Amino acid sequence: MSDESILFTYIAPFVGVLVVAVGIGAAVPGGYAIIQEDITTCDSPTVAVEGPEETTERFNESRPRTLPTLYYENLSEAEQTAFDEALADPIGEARVTGDFPNGDTIRNGSIIVYEGEEHYATVVAENPCFVAPELQFPLGVFAIIFGVIGILSPPIYRKLVELEERANVE
Amino acid sequence: MMNRAVIEGSALAVLALSILTIWFRARYKARPASDGGYLTREELQFELGRLQDEALRWLTTTNHREIGILYIAFGTIAALWGGMDAMMLRTELLTPPADIWTPETYNALFTTHGLTMLIFFVLPVFFGIGNYFLPLLIGADDMAFPRVNAIGFWLLPPALLMARFGLIVQIGGQVLSIFLPDDQIMFFLSLREVSVGWTLYAPLSVVQPNPQIDLLLLGLHLSGIATTVGAINFIATVIYERADGVTWGNLDIFSWNMLVTSSIALFAFPLLGSALVMLLLDRNLGTTFFATEGGGPVLWQHLFWFWGHPEVYILFLPATGLMSLILPKFVGRKLFGYQFIVYSTLGLAVMSFGVWAHHMFTSGVDPRLKASFMAISIAIAVPSAIKVFNWLTTMWDGDIKLSAPFILCAGGIGTFIIGGVTGVFLAVIPIDILYHGTYYVVGHFHLIVVGIIPMLMIASSYYWYPILTGRWYDRRLAKFQSGLLIVGAFVTFMILLVIGGMGLPRRQAIYPPEYQLAQQMATVGSYVIGLSAVMWLYNMLVSYWRGDVVQSTDPWNLKATNQFTREWQWFEERMVEKYDMEPAQPETTRRSYAPELEPMGLLGGVGSVAQNVYRNASMAAVAGFIGTFLMTGGIGTAIVIGVLDPASFAEISELVGLGTSAIIGAALFLAGGTIIWPLLFLSFQEFLPGRRMFETGLVFATLVATGFSVAFYTDQQGLAFVGYLTFVFVAHWAYGLGLAVTFQFLRSRRTDMGA
Repeated sequence: MSDESILFTYIAPFVGVLVVAVGIGAAVPGGYAIIQEDITTCDSPTVAVEGPEETTERFNESRPRTLPTLYYENLSEAEQTAFDEALADPIGEARVTGDFPNGDTIRNGSIIVYEGEEHYATVVAENPCFVAPELQFPLGVFAIIFGVIGILSPPIYRKLVELEERANVE
Repeated sequence: MMNRAVIEGSALAVLALSILTIWFRARYKARPASDGGYLTREELQFELGRLQDEALRWLTTTNHREIGILYIAFGTIAALWGGMDAMMLRTELLTPPADIWTPETYNALFTTHGLTMLIFFVLPVFFGIGNYFLPLLIGADDMAFPRVNAIGFWLLPPALLMARFGLIVQIGGQVLSIFLPDDQIMFFLSLREVSVGWTLYAPLSVVQPNPQIDLLLLGLHLSGIATTVGAINFIATVIYERADGVTWGNLDIFSWNMLVTSSIALFAFPLLGSALVMLLLDRNLGTTFFATEGGGPVLWQHLFWFWGHPEVYILFLPATGLMSLILPKFVGRKLFGYQFIVYSTLGLAVMSFGVWAHHMFTSGVDPRLKASFMAISIAIAVPSAIKVFNWLTTMWDGDIKLSAPFILCAGGIGTFIIGGVTGVFLAVIPIDILYHGTYYVVGHFHLIVVGIIPMLMIASSYYWYPILTGRWYDRRLAKFQSGLLIVGAFVTFMILLVIGGMGLPRRQAIYPPEYQLAQQMATVGSYVIGLSAVMWLYNMLVSYWRGDVVQSTDPWNLKATNQFTREWQWFEERMVEKYDMEPAQPETTRRSYAPELEPMGLLGGVGSVAQNVYRNASMAAVAGFIGTFLMTGGIGTAIVIGVLDPASFAEISELVGLGTSAIIGAALFLAGGTIIWPLLFLSFQEFLPGRRMFETGLVFATLVATGFSVAFYTDQQGLAFVGYLTFVFVAHWAYGLGLAVTFQFLRSRRTDMGA
């Protein structure tokens, strides 16, 4: 009897790899969904703030009439912090972590007046929390373990064949 | 949002640790066993001294083979780094919103992925292969300028570090911010990975203040110098260092391709260097080469693609050279149309400089100019097609050996045909305008850059592994890995072609939900590619210490087909010199095959089924108990995570008239698993498909699981239903295997005792 089995030498590990790949796709985001609230600040949008010169350059003489104007003093504490951080940031972006009462206004672009100068501000990313079904993580982990067994099936198969051949020597 | 720097840094650290562990473990196991005792101080000092000597040797070597290995190792590290970016960006695309990474992080991931793979992975690996084998193939003692060769390599590690400094600084900043206030470490907090796309298009690359862009430009410039230096060396080596008898008419195809590749690089890279300096000046010294006012962002595109399109051929031609060299060895025929392949390579080199504007069909270039670029872009398919026809004709009627290098060659031809043909469509202006910003383009070029290019790199690593190490790689694993890479590449990039054809824009972290399933399938395909890459690396590392030692001076039996080329002749001389081996003589007879043996009685004895069952009933009970025990683990887990309702066990108890008790039902279930099902198995297993008992055990368990899944189904829906079915089948397979293996184990012990 040939000790090579196409099923256990090539097909089973191939299916195993597919199952591991699917498992990674399920387990990594699934695990992240469980711990994201402890390690991240999701649901806090990213705001981009431009300097006064860029703002002037952007609108030149054609500022839309509908563009709302907000005053720094009237922003919430979280909004003010994000505004300050964005001004100090190399690419002019910061996250609003906390109360965002002017969110709807800033989301579509608005002018924020700060120390007499105008800054164009807009939300550039919503950063929503990741939502995953509860079962995604355990099933993903299970798939990885099961897939690894599949990948290891050629050596396991050879061991089992060895065992069977020993049992059949009578 | 997850912290990209920490995640990627940790993942790379785990990968590096795993590689080192595998390497040292394999090395430790390969050494002679100790006769006892413990490590003395002298031994430790000796080991440290040895490591110091080795480090000095590798840092200062000018030997072409050692520099070749350094290039390959460097390229592999870059591939793992850029591959990690790819895995991370594909993970983001599992869901339609940008909810795993921020859109900016996603932008940074595809930027660094592209740059790392194209600049620091592909060409260094080909330069490595060229360094090692080109002098052997042309009969040269070394490269023409050995010291320049070493300098060319050693410019690359700092170039990579500069290009990827953003990640290192981000990790550093996050570690430091634990101990120091933010205002003291502003530098570390202000640098981040570049996120403007690998093409660095102006004006975004000019106006974005991230200082890492400057470091990236310097890193790319340095790598360009390294490439130019290497290219000059290859050209000089091929022209001046050929052995007597190696003429332009019989120079091997790989050396031809390295010569042509180097010539393209010599013209293309200095121009990239100039453009990078201009961009640096625009960013830092107020020049206006690419400024919207006073200069032209389109100028950047012209300069960039004047390098960028020849770069495609710089990456691709060495792969075709390897294909033309390796493929004939595994089909037992000489390369068909040597001259035409050489001419097609030269034709590609010239034409590659006349097609750059096809990357700019959506920009405001004069339509009459665009038309000429369209014509040449379509025409450049001709020399590529000549190569494909020659490879196919080489295989025609050949004696094909289905080894890993051949599988990769065949897969490479397949991906190249699809990747190439889809490219011809993009050469047509109206089609390009439609598909330019979609996944179609991503699918098209990835079928080349994750098709023929890495496939031929890996094929050559297998083909020349005996020369590199004196050992064989694990051939079964290699075949498997090759198939896996081909399947992964096809699944991933064919899906991208399709969703691009449907109009899905590329370079977006957010996409419409109707594409989710396709994106998920592409991501799973990309994980398969990642896993196959890891398997290749594992095979290379472990086989170096534990692979079978090569016992012949002609391991591929090339003499039989008169293809024992110079590098193998060198190998033979070395083996004869070092180990006093006899030069191999080709076998003239074909290998004969042993006839299939008749299947044995699976219980190993004679007599009726009833006698067998009687004889083995006690062992079956024990085996049944073990199987049931294993199965309980699976069923229990299913109950814990909530995909199987324990109340459904009550139905068993009801069935036998003992009321609706889940506990009694479970007890009956266990008793059945221990006594009844094993006996049924032993009675019927001879009639079940499968040659081995554990195979029939699996078939038996699958049949039982089908019944179980119907009987115990309690209206689970969606993911819970998938989980239910999975656990039911896996738990039953554990039962079937446990039953069959334990049974055979007990029999083998009885046999041993009997003996």
